[in-house]
Amino acid sequence: MREELSDPELVASFKGGDVEALGVLMERHKAALYGYLLRVTARTDAAEDLFQEVFLKLVHNPGAYSERLKFRAWLFTVARNAAMDYFRREGSRRALTLPQGAFAGDEDGDAPSALEMAASAEPGPQEALENKLLGERIARALETLSQEQREIFYLRHYSELSFKEIAEMLGLPIGTVLARMSRAAARLRGELKKMPQ
Amino acid sequence: MNCGYGEKLILYFYGEAGAGSRSSGQYSSSAIPLSGDETASAVEAHLKSCAACRDAFAALTAAEGLLKESAALPPASALEAVMRQARAAAAGARSPFFAGNRVETAFAGVMAFALMAVFALFPRGTSPELAWNSGLDSSLDSVEYSLYQAQSELTASSGDWEYSYDLLNAERQILDPGEG
Repeated sequence: MREELSDPELVASFKGGDVEALGVLMERHKAALYGYLLRVTARTDAAEDLFQEVFLKLVHNPGAYSERLKFRAWLFTVARNAAMDYFRREGSRRALTLPQGAFAGDEDGDAPSALEMAASAEPGPQEALENKLLGERIARALETLSQEQREIFYLRHYSELSFKEIAEMLGLPIGTVLARMSRAAARLRGELKKMPQ
Repeated sequence: MNCGYGEKLILYFYGEAGAGSRSSGQYSSSAIPLSGDETASAVEAHLKSCAACRDAFAALTAAEGLLKESAALPPASALEAVMRQARAAAAGARSPFFAGNRVETAFAGVMAFALMAVFALFPRGTSPELAWNSGLDSSLDSVEYSLYQAQSELTASSGDWEYSYDLLNAERQILDPGEG
């Protein structure tokens, strides 16, 4: 029954004293929120703490969320702020030194490049190891993105909010958000081409 | 990518470029609902002729795929910890003590004070020796002596005042014998 309620309805129910409504909310958003926090902090303990912190904000101050807003936008705004506070507390930013190399690819021709093939390839028995290595290369490529580019990339993936909603959340013009994402895509492409296969 | 399609490619990739974009055709890889009126067909046509955009598209697909594959869930203990605090907060809000039931709170306070008074006036389990050793007797003696001393000083002051009053009365009668 509760599972059929919308997010704002669940929050209203929780505010009215139905504690279990909070459980449904957490179940509904746990993968996205925890995935985002884990990506941003790169630490499971920090991600767990921040995950609890976000929902405890609703517990201790239910009025912090207004039903007029999209719950997921509120949730990720709180999560982003909590993560920023975490970094301020820790005084640390991840800095990864990346191996530089060459990634062969046909940029000018019409034939699919190695990158295109890797992105569309179905995993086979022999390709398992190659896919694993490709995954590692992609992860390293993601680390080369600037903090602003990564933030928007992760927000778009995990929150599934539109770029317009992300722009509103960050207080940025949508053109800036799209430009950052476009540069992020170009950077990923460039890094993946540079890395050895 | 200097082709001018950078941002359009992003909107197309994430299904925000307009109807008919990523959900169909050669570059479809997701069923994200589409919105807006961007010309998705133009992006698709451009992708056929621009290797840089194709590679950017492929890089985004690969990166999104990696995030999907590495999806993680929080441990159940994290959710349970939140629920415990939520239940405790709800129980606290329902408790008469915290809910502002002033009559019951005041009654509880009075009862606590009465119990403290009873224990203070009728101490049990304390032997006379213990009381003596604890210095309780000497303290009580000090209090008693202080009271006696204060009473004596008060009596003396009162006597002094009466003496002074009589003296002044006598002087007045000398100065004005007709009065009194």
